[in-house]
Amino acid sequence: MKTFVFHFIVAFTATYLFFSQADLPIPYNAETTTAMFLGILTLLWLSALFYNKSYFRKLPKAINLLLYFLKELFLANIKVAFDIVTPHYYMRPTIIALPLTVKSDLEITLLANIITLTPGTLSIDVRKDKKILFLHALYVKDDDIEQLKNYIKHGFERRILELTA
Amino acid sequence: MNLFQVTLTIAMVALSLCLVLTAVRFAIGPTLPDRITAFDLFVANVIGMIAIYTEFTGNEDFIDVAMILSLFGFLGSISFAYYIMRITK
Amino acid sequence: MLENIDWLLIREIISCVLILTGVLFMLISTLGLLRLPDFYIRMSAITKGTTLGLGLILSGMGIYFNQPDILLKVLAIIVFSFITAPVAAHVVGRTAVQNKIPFWDRTKTKELNEYLEQENLGEHVNRDKYIEDLKKKKKNAPGNQ
Repeated sequence: MKTFVFHFIVAFTATYLFFSQADLPIPYNAETTTAMFLGILTLLWLSALFYNKSYFRKLPKAINLLLYFLKELFLANIKVAFDIVTPHYYMRPTIIALPLTVKSDLEITLLANIITLTPGTLSIDVRKDKKILFLHALYVKDDDIEQLKNYIKHGFERRILELTA
Repeated sequence: MNLFQVTLTIAMVALSLCLVLTAVRFAIGPTLPDRITAFDLFVANVIGMIAIYTEFTGNEDFIDVAMILSLFGFLGSISFAYYIMRITK
Repeated sequence: MLENIDWLLIREIISCVLILTGVLFMLISTLGLLRLPDFYIRMSAITKGTTLGLGLILSGMGIYFNQPDILLKVLAIIVFSFITAPVAAHVVGRTAVQNKIPFWDRTKTKELNEYLEQENLGEHVNRDKYIEDLKKKKKNAPGNQ
């Protein structure tokens, strides 16, 4: 995490200094600056192989989590939008008590935020001992609560645990 | 008037319709949390309208307004929630 | 070959598609705000729809202008809204549960009831019961006579 912030600042400063000089060899627009920024970040990430192995392993997992999250967000939106437009309600709302494996405050916040934004679920409350998270789920197939719990546990919680372990 | 401007006009009209419909929910909402949700949606709609207006005129200063507005919308809904928690205890 | 392509036109088309998709999501979530039956369902539909719609509209704007400073500001707004929208939804939803806002009568609240009874909150979990209680209160109120 610290390494990522350091690399981010270094890449940003380098890009800013390069594009603030007087006569540029390449045009100044969003594509070139983004490409240069990402290029410097990738070079720094490759260099982390020699002094910070865990950062080198974790960055692809973070990108994987981000892409999976965006995909789930899009699919959930299409599902809910379809239910709103058609007159019949397909939803079976259920309250679920999800036992948490994650421990620290940062992980719980991350998990609750991701759950609120993805497949038809809304995090309502955390019990005071931080062991159970209450969810309001819209789509529960055939009253099968365990299936949804397993889906969240193996989809998001596993990825977050891999990231912060 | 080319295709791009037609699209922007359609988007602007749709967002204005959104504002009116949200105002209906704000008026009839049976409970106070319903009204807070409608308020949240107001802020999001106005940010979208500012973005489309920026594209219409090409005036780049309005993006700062959208940034500040997103900050204040978050503060507003949080403080309303704490207000409800306070008055019922 | 590369000079013949009109980059402005391509950017305009991409921006058009993104903006129309975003506005469609916003419109659908506003309709959902009007016609869904229960506060919690409305809340969970609204949070997702608005966040995605706003993100699409703003990224369309960033692609159209094609300038680094505007792209940076747009990314700042998107990241900020993706962080704050679920937090606000969680706070409002939690407040609603503690204030006994009723659930839809088809909602299965088996796993929540235990917790609510423990916290002395479990009076009005059912919407029909809540409305009946409201009617009784109105009948019994002394101002009505």
